[in-house]
Amino acid sequence: MHVRDDMSLAVPTAIRNGLDRRSFLKVVAQATAAIGLTSTMAAKVVAAVEKGARPSVIWLHFQECTGCTETLLRTSHPGLAEVVFDLISLDYHETLMAAAGRQAEEALEAAIKKNSGKYILVVEGAIPTKENGIYMQIGQKTGLDIVKHVAASAGAIVAIGSCASWGGIPSADPNPTGASGVNKILEGKMVVTLPGCPANPYILLGTLLQFVALGKLPELDELGRPKFAYGRTIHEHCPRRAHFDAGRFAEEFGDEGHRLGYCLYKLGCKGPSTHASCSVLQFCEVVDAWPIGLGHPCFGCTEQSVAFRVPMHKPSEIVRPTPPSTYAPVSAPQGFISPIATAVGGLIGGALLGAGWMASRGMKDKPAPSTHTPPPNQNSDSEKE
Amino acid sequence: MDVNRRDVLKVLLGGTAVTAIAGSTAHVAKAAPETVQPLEDAVGLLYDATKCIGCRACMPACQNANGLVPDRGLSHGLYMQPNNLNSQTKNLIKLYVAEDGHERSFMKQQCMHCVDPACVSGCPMQALHKEPKGVVGWDSGLCIGCRYCQIACPFNIPKFEWYRVNPKIVKCELCRHLIGTTETQPACTKVCPTHAVIYGKRSDLLAEAHRRIKEKPGYYFEDRVYGETEGGGTQCLVLSRVDYTKLGLPKMGPESNASRVRRVTNVIYQGFLTPVVIYGGLVAVVRDRWKEHLQHVEDERNEDNDSKGMHV
Amino acid sequence: MSEKWEQCVRLKEPLLTKPFKFFLGLAGFALVLVALREVSGLGYVTGLNDGYAWGLFKNWNVTALTALGSGGYAVAVMAWIFNERKFHPIMRTAVLTSLVGYGTGMLALGADVGRPWNFIHIINPKTWNHHSVLLEVAVCMTAYVILALNFENMPPFLERMYQSGDPQRSKRALQIFHYMQKSFPFWIALAFVLPSMHQSSLGSLMFLAGDRVHPLWQSARLPLFYLLMAYVLGFACVLLVLILSTYAWDLGWDEEILGRLAIVMSWLTLFWLVLQFVDLAYRGVFELAFTFDRYSIVFLVETVLILVPALALQSASLREKPAHLFRLTLTLTIGGLLYRFTPTSIAFMPLGNYTYFPSVIEILMSVGFTALAVVVFLYAVKRFAILPASAGKIAAEAAIRPFDTL
Repeated sequence: MHVRDDMSLAVPTAIRNGLDRRSFLKVVAQATAAIGLTSTMAAKVVAAVEKGARPSVIWLHFQECTGCTETLLRTSHPGLAEVVFDLISLDYHETLMAAAGRQAEEALEAAIKKNSGKYILVVEGAIPTKENGIYMQIGQKTGLDIVKHVAASAGAIVAIGSCASWGGIPSADPNPTGASGVNKILEGKMVVTLPGCPANPYILLGTLLQFVALGKLPELDELGRPKFAYGRTIHEHCPRRAHFDAGRFAEEFGDEGHRLGYCLYKLGCKGPSTHASCSVLQFCEVVDAWPIGLGHPCFGCTEQSVAFRVPMHKPSEIVRPTPPSTYAPVSAPQGFISPIATAVGGLIGGALLGAGWMASRGMKDKPAPSTHTPPPNQNSDSEKE
Repeated sequence: MDVNRRDVLKVLLGGTAVTAIAGSTAHVAKAAPETVQPLEDAVGLLYDATKCIGCRACMPACQNANGLVPDRGLSHGLYMQPNNLNSQTKNLIKLYVAEDGHERSFMKQQCMHCVDPACVSGCPMQALHKEPKGVVGWDSGLCIGCRYCQIACPFNIPKFEWYRVNPKIVKCELCRHLIGTTETQPACTKVCPTHAVIYGKRSDLLAEAHRRIKEKPGYYFEDRVYGETEGGGTQCLVLSRVDYTKLGLPKMGPESNASRVRRVTNVIYQGFLTPVVIYGGLVAVVRDRWKEHLQHVEDERNEDNDSKGMHV
Repeated sequence: MSEKWEQCVRLKEPLLTKPFKFFLGLAGFALVLVALREVSGLGYVTGLNDGYAWGLFKNWNVTALTALGSGGYAVAVMAWIFNERKFHPIMRTAVLTSLVGYGTGMLALGADVGRPWNFIHIINPKTWNHHSVLLEVAVCMTAYVILALNFENMPPFLERMYQSGDPQRSKRALQIFHYMQKSFPFWIALAFVLPSMHQSSLGSLMFLAGDRVHPLWQSARLPLFYLLMAYVLGFACVLLVLILSTYAWDLGWDEEILGRLAIVMSWLTLFWLVLQFVDLAYRGVFELAFTFDRYSIVFLVETVLILVPALALQSASLREKPAHLFRLTLTLTIGGLLYRFTPTSIAFMPLGNYTYFPSVIEILMSVGFTALAVVVFLYAVKRFAILPASAGKIAAEAAIRPFDTL
């Protein structure tokens, strides 16, 4: 029995290492802390594992690049993939499992039967729907059929990545295959969606760990996204926010502002319209390993209305503006004196005065009453009313 | 009826003059003016400018709680940047910096919820009125949009939606649409991280303000809290190190403008008595003149007929 | 040389003259702009802002110009209280100027309020705020226009009705007129009480603003000053209208009436000036008049425009010369209007850094409302027997019995 000290390498293997209790506790503590679960949760995770309750996980791949799986493998706290697999029982995963062909199919069916109603279905990738879904088939079965079949007896369904959450890049216009998120296909079923391209792996880990520890899923928003990860926009917790508030922007790639790490809003950052937690969790456990940290604006990979739709360098709309770093003065000037209006007013005033003066000049003599009848006029002067 | 015109005239004119002048000099009268006392359960805010860090969390919070469209000012859509209270901004944090920079202070501007508001006194239809707990509320069903409240308010608070066909008067109403149902305090006090602005009963807030003043004598400006007596007292109080006038709070005596107007109108009108009495006197005089006039006209006509040799 | 005005005449001049068309165009344009204002917001049409919430419509068309429209009131007081019978020939003219002055003032007020649909509540006294001066102005002005002014202006109209040739209508006209004769004192007394209430209340309006009105104007005596100035401007308006009319249509020059109007106006103005002086001294703000900042300058200009004509009109020789009478009255009018206008606007100092100047549309609307008053006046004097004329003027139709008793 040995503890792997090299925590940075994730080995894609289904080896179960027996860790001593102390090391195991340490790892669980790290894992739960990394995802923001409290120490009581850690205790529950431990208890759950010791009881031998390791929920079965069936992981399906559809129209995807396998990026979500790949990022998942690049986590280290929990340290190793096998620690994760000590907490769950990964019964089907096309990328990681050793089996292939019919053996794999049989393993899938066996897992479904054995854990019917209790396994967690994780879906990676979009599912084509055009022409009955013929654009993606495994073993001559369409993705549509596969997902419906496996989801039928799943205990919980998690869609990882933007593709599975809402269609992702396969669904970009004109969407020739009719790629769709799994929640649209499984109407009526509750699907936890974890959008992102790739999704941040710790969000999946957090969701799974909570499920393992408490037997229930985290609080979700109206799109099925866990609020703990998607409750705020990038803009709301971006390390460059102070630059935004102060009006310090990078105007071009490579300019002075860009080099000084100023806000990337003017380069098209979609942070204000993107709900995600990349600025907090980041990727690959390298500091600043996320788009903005690397100096490229966020392109809104989690949002269906933004990613692969809005041009990457087009500025985002700011739906909930906040004050900048400057303040209103005690008495800001208000009101406007139109020069045209003063001219018109002056003209009218002058005209009236002038008219008055001219009228008075014609008043040299007292008016004599006219004693003659004016010529009869043609105006409608009739008294017939 | 043979009314002695001269006497009636004298009495009438004299009465009118006396009433007019008495009404005009009402403020000299020793009789106590009609002051309004704060309600027992009056609520308000205490804003301590020395605790405010200018984070402005209260501004988006107010916008959200009141469903206001943010005023993006001149920021090309980037920021919430009102430079004044307006029809989209009920609450504003301003910054005062002395010309030589030797002192600075933040100032939170919102409706002061006066004890005896001028706006309530002036509003012809009671659209602006005192709600329970002394909150000054606005009722869209009664307002005719005359904007007298904007003329009356010494703090220049009520704002008007000039660019709408269905314009409202917009001002802080201490989140009265939320308190009692979903909230226990206004949005601004709920999010303030330093408790620079707090909500509570006016009597409690005054006590707290005095406690702070006592705790640090000479720290707060003139060792007093603004709003205790100004303009008859306000329910939203302000504590500051710098002169209140520099923060945009006008210097006011203890008498509210509303009570000054009430005194003048009370004396002039004496309820409705004066106009009715004058009316009666005038009817008597005019009747007398009218009869005379008719007589005159009759005489003239007879003269005319005589001169023309006509007999009717 | 002067000819007494002994009758009221209907002018037989053509209606659609060039000036009439010009005023009609201005008035029509203003009405179109009113429609524009109703479908957009006040902010698009005026230069008003949150600091200066009242602009040309309320401050000029209502506060200032309805003082000009107090001619009917002022002359009626002279005729019916002080028993100056000589003013009867000009009564119809005076009350007509009141009607058009107040009518267009109410139109301006209606165009100015932001939420006019809520006016309906005004019929329910439960919603009234009894302490509100503005309510008093609104209710009183409306009552005055609907009741008193309409009553006072009915005789010429009834006269026409009587002459229409239709026996039914003639009978109706006489019936109504007899009712008017019977109830005359009650209506006229109303026509005295109501305007004294609201003309003084127009002054009290700004009293609520307290220190926001410059101390040279802010005073608890504002109601009294506004009321007196309303009398002065009422006389002035009637004088100006009569002088212009007599030169336009050869009505004759009634020295007695015009001279009397002028001297009463002069005495009233001097009385007003004395009261002002006492008030300023009493409030201890006299020295503010000489600081020569913009407030002091406006005050001095205003005072000079009022004082000089008032003094000058004490001289009988100046009163007898039409040109001088006209110019002096015009100057006094400008000064008086300025006095009524200033506390609401120029001397109004809202908190903060606000500036206001009316927008072009606002100015055109305001001018158009006044043009409308002129249009209605011109129409009326050519359709009804209103203007006074000497007995020698036979060119126009005279008022007839019994209607000419009023």
